Amino acid sequence: MHRTIDTAQVSESPVLTVENLTVYREARIAVQNVSFSLASGTDVAIVGPNGAGKSTLVQALLGILPRQSGDISILGQPLSHTRKLPPHVRQQIAYLPQNFLVDRRIPITVEEVVGLGWDRLGLQLPWSGKRARRQAVRQALSQVEAWHLRHQLISGLSGGETKRVLLAYCLVRPRKLLILDEAPAGLDVRSEGEFYRLLNQFKQEQGWAILQISHDLDMVRRQCDRVICLNHTIRCQGSPNDTLSEDNLSKTYGFEFVRYRHSCERGNV
Amino acid sequence: MTIQADLTRVIELFQFPFMQRALMGGVLTGAMGGLLGSFTILKQLSFFSEALGDAALLGISLGLLLGLNSSIILLPFAILFALMFSYLLEHTKLWTDALLNILCSSSLALAIIILSFIGEYKGSIDSLLFGDILAVQTPDLIFNALLLVGCVVFLGLTLRTQMMLTLHEPMAIARGISVSAHRTAFIVLLALVVGVSIKAIGVLLVSAFVVIPACAARLLSRNFTTHMLFSAGIGALSAVIGIVFSAWFNLPSGPSIVVMQLAVFLIAMLCPRAQGILE
Repeated sequence: MHRTIDTAQVSESPVLTVENLTVYREARIAVQNVSFSLASGTDVAIVGPNGAGKSTLVQALLGILPRQSGDISILGQPLSHTRKLPPHVRQQIAYLPQNFLVDRRIPITVEEVVGLGWDRLGLQLPWSGKRARRQAVRQALSQVEAWHLRHQLISGLSGGETKRVLLAYCLVRPRKLLILDEAPAGLDVRSEGEFYRLLNQFKQEQGWAILQISHDLDMVRRQCDRVICLNHTIRCQGSPNDTLSEDNLSKTYGFEFVRYRHSCERGNV
Repeated sequence: MTIQADLTRVIELFQFPFMQRALMGGVLTGAMGGLLGSFTILKQLSFFSEALGDAALLGISLGLLLGLNSSIILLPFAILFALMFSYLLEHTKLWTDALLNILCSSSLALAIIILSFIGEYKGSIDSLLFGDILAVQTPDLIFNALLLVGCVVFLGLTLRTQMMLTLHEPMAIARGISVSAHRTAFIVLLALVVGVSIKAIGVLLVSAFVVIPACAARLLSRNFTTHMLFSAGIGALSAVIGIVFSAWFNLPSGPSIVVMQLAVFLIAMLCPRAQGILE
């Protein structure tokens, strides 16, 4: 009964709403007065120079960092100032961090990592839902063509394999919101293409709302429905073709960005 | 002939209740240390048991000063130490080993100052440093058994959460896990296990019970669950072999168990599965 009501609320409201968000980091303003929303089935990129507050912003959205002021609402539920969200909402969010480096001495297999994506966490018996869990893990790993890696240690995989497994971690349960902090960073061209092919496929199949931080403006033009240019505050936002103009990028990155870009185009760099 | 005589002597020795209690105590302590040790080494808290052992001297000296039994004051002191460590870890953001060093050395300094006011303390200090597994009593066994059940229930119910925290803390927070609550609960449990183990094994060797079986198990296991189970198993098995070994050769029991743990670790290093980790 309770779950039905929540689902109804979810379908009517934006997946993510941020209003006047301000976040401090190391006693300095990292994000100031930021507002935006994210609808189901859309892919929004956040771009901006290093130190612009992009990672801080997504970490505040997830409750990893505290916020100074502002409101955050995910799937119609407010993120409290003590950074709490109802468990069924948390269950529908997947987050892939900038650096997913696992200590190679930690004995955790691919199957176990994807299984953690399925688990509700908190207090639970280790054997609860064992059969459903195994089936979900098998299906998710098969979808990203990584079932054969299931017994491998996660730390022993290549960059491309690790990203595929992390996508399986997201896929293993129905999700509404996927937050990627430069998730494909460090991949070669082929692995990156494969990562986005899978991401697009699952976005369409699952209706994921995707919020991703990126430095790859060409990718943003190809892949995303909307872009937010951030440099502590939102400098501009809209469709990639309209928003990623030289004027807007200069406002976001500063004069040096445009000069560098022109130099590259003339082949001087 | 000599072997047969020795075997008969050892069997006769194990007819005595104190040896049976020592064996039971060794198995319980070894299993608990191994079980929590598997997470302790992965969370890079190996130095915690060593530091708590050293800091326990302050608890004992306070007990002597107040005229209290050392085993009564040891556990509350261990919990207090754990809570203080957890608080400092969260609020200072300093390195784990550096904070443990601060707590350990300052506790030791305070203990020495307190002990300088007390004349007769050598007996308590000796038993604290070296422990005596042969002196384990039935109430100790009951407490150890209850604590082992507590460890199994806690790790059983939070296994997936502990795995997620060990794998990637920010991803765990994004899933709504309270890092602080889980870390504090784990550290308090570890402090209780180390606290009760000190009576049997002593301050000087207690960390071996937490660290060595877990490291040996890591060399033999390929996933999280087997690592945890192997670690508890190696801890218990080393205790049994160590106590029999000590009875056979008439050696001190605690150090004999640690030597057996080392032997298992060295054997594990030869295992082909370990080669991938040792490379």
